[in-house]
Amino acid sequence: MNILTLIVAIPFLAAAGVALTPRREKDLAQTIALLASGATMLLAIALFACFDAGVPGFQSEAHFPFAQALGIWFHFGVDGVNVGLILMGAIVGFAATCVSLGEIKDRQKEFYILLLVMIGGILGSFASLDIFMFFFFHEFALVPTFIMIGVWGRGVDRNYATFKITVYLVVGSMISVFGLIALYLQAPEPRTFNMAELAEIFRDNPIAVDRQNLIFPLLMFGFGILVSLWPFHTWAPLGYGSAPTGTAMMHAGVIKKFGLYGLIRIALPMCPEGAQNWLHVLAFLCLGNILYCGFVAMRQRNLNLLIGNSSVAHMGFVFLGIASLTLIGVTGAVVIMVAHGLLAALTFALSGRLYNQAGTSDMDKMGGYLKQLPFIGTAMVMAMMAGCGLPGFANFVGEAMVFFGAWNAFPGVTVLAVWGALVIGGVYMLRAIRDILHGGENAAHKVELSDAADWRQRAPFALLLATLLLFGFAPRLLTNKIQPAAKAIVDAANGVSVRQVEVARLDGAEVAGTTLENVE
Amino acid sequence: MDPLSWTIWIALFLPLGAAVAIALFARANRAASAGLSIGAIVGAFILTAFYSVLKGLNKDGAVESGIDWLSINGSAPGDALNVGFGVLLDPLSLMMLLVVTGVGMLIHIYSRGYMKDDEGWSRYFACLSLFTFSMMGIVLATNFVQMFIFWELVGVSSYLLIGFWFGKPAAADAGKKAFLTNRIGDFGFLLGILLVWSAFGEVSFSVLADDLAHGGNKLEGMGKFGCVPLATLAGLLIFCGAVGKSAQFPLHVWLPDAMEGPTPVSALIHAATMVAAGVYMLCRTIFLFDDFALLFIAFVGGITSLMAALMAVQQDDIKRILAYSTLSQLGYMVMAVGLNGQGEGATAAMYHLTTHASFKALLFLGAGSVICATHHEQDIWRMGGLRDRMPTTYLTFCIGTLALMGLPPFSGFYSKDAILSSAAPWISEHGNILLFVIALAVAFLTAFYMTRLVYVAFRGSARTDHARHAKESPLVMVAPLVALAVPAFAAGWAGIDGVFGDHFGAHVHAHGLVAHFVGPIEHAPFVAAMGTALALLGWYLASLLYTDVESDPLPEKLGALGFVATLMRRRFFIDEIYNFVFVAIHDAVARVADWCDRWIVAGLLVRGAHGTTELVGRIVRMFQTGNLQTYAALSMFGAAIVAIVFLLG
Repeated sequence: MNILTLIVAIPFLAAAGVALTPRREKDLAQTIALLASGATMLLAIALFACFDAGVPGFQSEAHFPFAQALGIWFHFGVDGVNVGLILMGAIVGFAATCVSLGEIKDRQKEFYILLLVMIGGILGSFASLDIFMFFFFHEFALVPTFIMIGVWGRGVDRNYATFKITVYLVVGSMISVFGLIALYLQAPEPRTFNMAELAEIFRDNPIAVDRQNLIFPLLMFGFGILVSLWPFHTWAPLGYGSAPTGTAMMHAGVIKKFGLYGLIRIALPMCPEGAQNWLHVLAFLCLGNILYCGFVAMRQRNLNLLIGNSSVAHMGFVFLGIASLTLIGVTGAVVIMVAHGLLAALTFALSGRLYNQAGTSDMDKMGGYLKQLPFIGTAMVMAMMAGCGLPGFANFVGEAMVFFGAWNAFPGVTVLAVWGALVIGGVYMLRAIRDILHGGENAAHKVELSDAADWRQRAPFALLLATLLLFGFAPRLLTNKIQPAAKAIVDAANGVSVRQVEVARLDGAEVAGTTLENVE
Repeated sequence: MDPLSWTIWIALFLPLGAAVAIALFARANRAASAGLSIGAIVGAFILTAFYSVLKGLNKDGAVESGIDWLSINGSAPGDALNVGFGVLLDPLSLMMLLVVTGVGMLIHIYSRGYMKDDEGWSRYFACLSLFTFSMMGIVLATNFVQMFIFWELVGVSSYLLIGFWFGKPAAADAGKKAFLTNRIGDFGFLLGILLVWSAFGEVSFSVLADDLAHGGNKLEGMGKFGCVPLATLAGLLIFCGAVGKSAQFPLHVWLPDAMEGPTPVSALIHAATMVAAGVYMLCRTIFLFDDFALLFIAFVGGITSLMAALMAVQQDDIKRILAYSTLSQLGYMVMAVGLNGQGEGATAAMYHLTTHASFKALLFLGAGSVICATHHEQDIWRMGGLRDRMPTTYLTFCIGTLALMGLPPFSGFYSKDAILSSAAPWISEHGNILLFVIALAVAFLTAFYMTRLVYVAFRGSARTDHARHAKESPLVMVAPLVALAVPAFAAGWAGIDGVFGDHFGAHVHAHGLVAHFVGPIEHAPFVAAMGTALALLGWYLASLLYTDVESDPLPEKLGALGFVATLMRRRFFIDEIYNFVFVAIHDAVARVADWCDRWIVAGLLVRGAHGTTELVGRIVRMFQTGNLQTYAALSMFGAAIVAIVFLLG
């Protein structure tokens, strides 16, 4: 069996396995979940290591029929864009399982079933080269989120949070599914859901510009809502604040990247004209994420809301990279997707641990924790530093690339984005360190904290940090793999405009006229 | 690749290895942590010295070796980013590296004594090694992006070390302030890098320098932004980075607060090396600055040096006096860079940076010795009479003071004279006497406040019990003082200016030891005499005021001008102004954004959508009564409307 198929299948099989375990065997459910997510992670590392950037097209491909009459296949395959995401997703999945072991005390069996379905669903979505399965798997990952927040969530707001996140994400999914169906219908009969085939079809016979102009915004806003694009972001901080730690890690880290991946993989190459006409809107909306949500994060006194808002703010850099439509920017966007996935998982794991021990996420009630928590505190300082773009962590590489990529296209936006990254990000991250870890002990709220003492407790944090540092020190491990695939996408998205430039150059004076003709 | 350059690669990664090894394996082992950290920097110093001796410090032997760190090449023009990671070995970087590792080595050793009772011992040495690695990275960087990376790493290691005693709120706040103030400077730096990259498609220093040296005036070819030439804008933005890191006005506010860190850290990071990184960066990229940018740089440096010297006159904390003095001397160097001319300015700046590193580190370590001996007393008015009880510290402190005052034949005299004589031509060339006057005024003020410090802290009679019972520090702390006193005394005759002069293509007048010794007097006797006379005047006036006094007589003596003393003491209220401008405004905007998020985006829109849906539900539910007659009536009503529409339509 092909390695990629295994990566997707193992979590689902394990979920079925956990479902069959007797309820009183709590340890068995945990063990199965841990082994399955660990195996998935090892296979994903192997997949990443064996991926050969020199080979064009997709690697580790596998096909199984699902509904042939409709042209729907289980069709898996990786190229540079999704191989890193699968690696990140599998690592976060394992870390989330590790963290949940200590946190989830009731209905463990159900929790691990849902967690495994979530892991398998999102990995399946990233691995799928069939638009239908791409979406179908995503729903597998999404639905458990709602249940997990409702059942194992925390805080007084959790019912409202469940309601809000459900409404938002369902609406987002709906809009993007309209866009995907509209896209599917543009291809001639016999229709296919195969991404590669569709991309070829639309490259040779572009969709009419007025239709692209309708389809692209459907995809952009639909996927955008799923990624908490400003101003559709308010579900995210609240939802993550109320979610159990493992769920927040998986959703903020991995599942949220689905929308971005869809934009890059489907919307850009298939609707290039639509992209040209709409991406400047995205470039301005991304400032809403970076600046506005950054400012909101500055005001938060609740650690979970702070990192939730900062996670929303970081999505702005990815949007900016996509909007730049340059190879540097799009590659940088993919690097941030990987880096942010690891970082968001790390920060939510840390804040979840603090919440479980201190009984609160209110930073006014914390202070001086670093003395009691040398390991967790150091990991937190590193995570906060990574969050404000410190070199050495992969996030810096991605953000810097986005700035380089976007500079020529949107200089004004880039200036503000740099301010958001360096100054605003620095302010709220350092304030959090100051309030939680530094300073004297908070006399009014003394708590007994226990540091992660043994390697089993340290493993998830160490794993996430090590991966961030690895890609931060040697970004070529990632960028060299991303580059060829991203180049194909960027070239497809720019194809029309490059032709326009050539025609315009040939015809000199009649620039406007020829451009229009060429487009039609 | 030049095989010898491997020695420098190894030297660069030794401290990182030490930091990682301490963090992972030696947290509980005090001897091993200190040994690793000190061993790494001693190794780095020996390797650097070995390389420098073998290759010689001349421009022709310059070597660049590196690897591809990031390489993106798109199809569209301008869609390419190639960033290397390497070491650039020329007289400028090697000399700077010798300073960083040499002074750093002594400070590492001194730390063993100063920090001996601290529970964070291993963390301290790990951070110190991390800092050394980052600083060496800045010095060796081959391109802008690599420099920016290490620039930020230096910032974070400084943050960790300032906030080393994080349990103390003041220390934690000072670390935060330093990091964020630097971030404001880095914002400009990064934009400057982006601007240069988009104009030339390159970030490598050597390629950019070649590009600009050949083929006409490419700086002007960059075009304009509004009425501002892009070259000027790029230069000023890059200078922002130096303003932050070298604590120039208006971003100088973090440095005095940074004195909350352990004293050896203040000596290493906030006096000798990190704060000099801004000056080094300007010299490294000197080819990018056009005339206007240089003029601006010169004035920022001049203003900083004068203002900081004035503030130093009325400080009472021994470390803060030295901190303001550092600000002032950094301003001096930055001013020299701005007065570049034919490379003389950059030469003078790097020369002063080198000598300053030794004598300022000496002064800080001396202050640390005093602080240790008086049980962590930092107020000079609570010291006094230490001369007799701490003779070695006193003697070396005096050597440092004389060097800082710039009196011959101490090292500071020669480098200060180099700066003064690069300011002097300006009077004739630009008809502008202002910068020369500022430079002289700073020379006077420096002598004044340093004399005040020495007379109040070391002479007279002891004013507290702690001062009365002070003892000389142990050998591990005194030995580095003596070792630093040697270059502080004699570095002026060693021909360091020749090395930098060769690098920048500037004409340096003296060759040989004797010629160096008398160089300034031969070459520009008037300038040398003016500088020395003003320093002596400062010494004399301060000695009149501060011999055997119990409290500061200056505010009284100024009489009606007493508010000047208050201004100096309160640092011209710049911190208060900032607190309002930056902190309050950012917080106000954040408050508005948060309010919008709570009440408009989340409240009105989301709850509004929710409410509308619910309202529709309620209205529709009113019709679902389950009563057959109502349904029948409603369908009749509907059918009637349809019929009417049909008939009328």
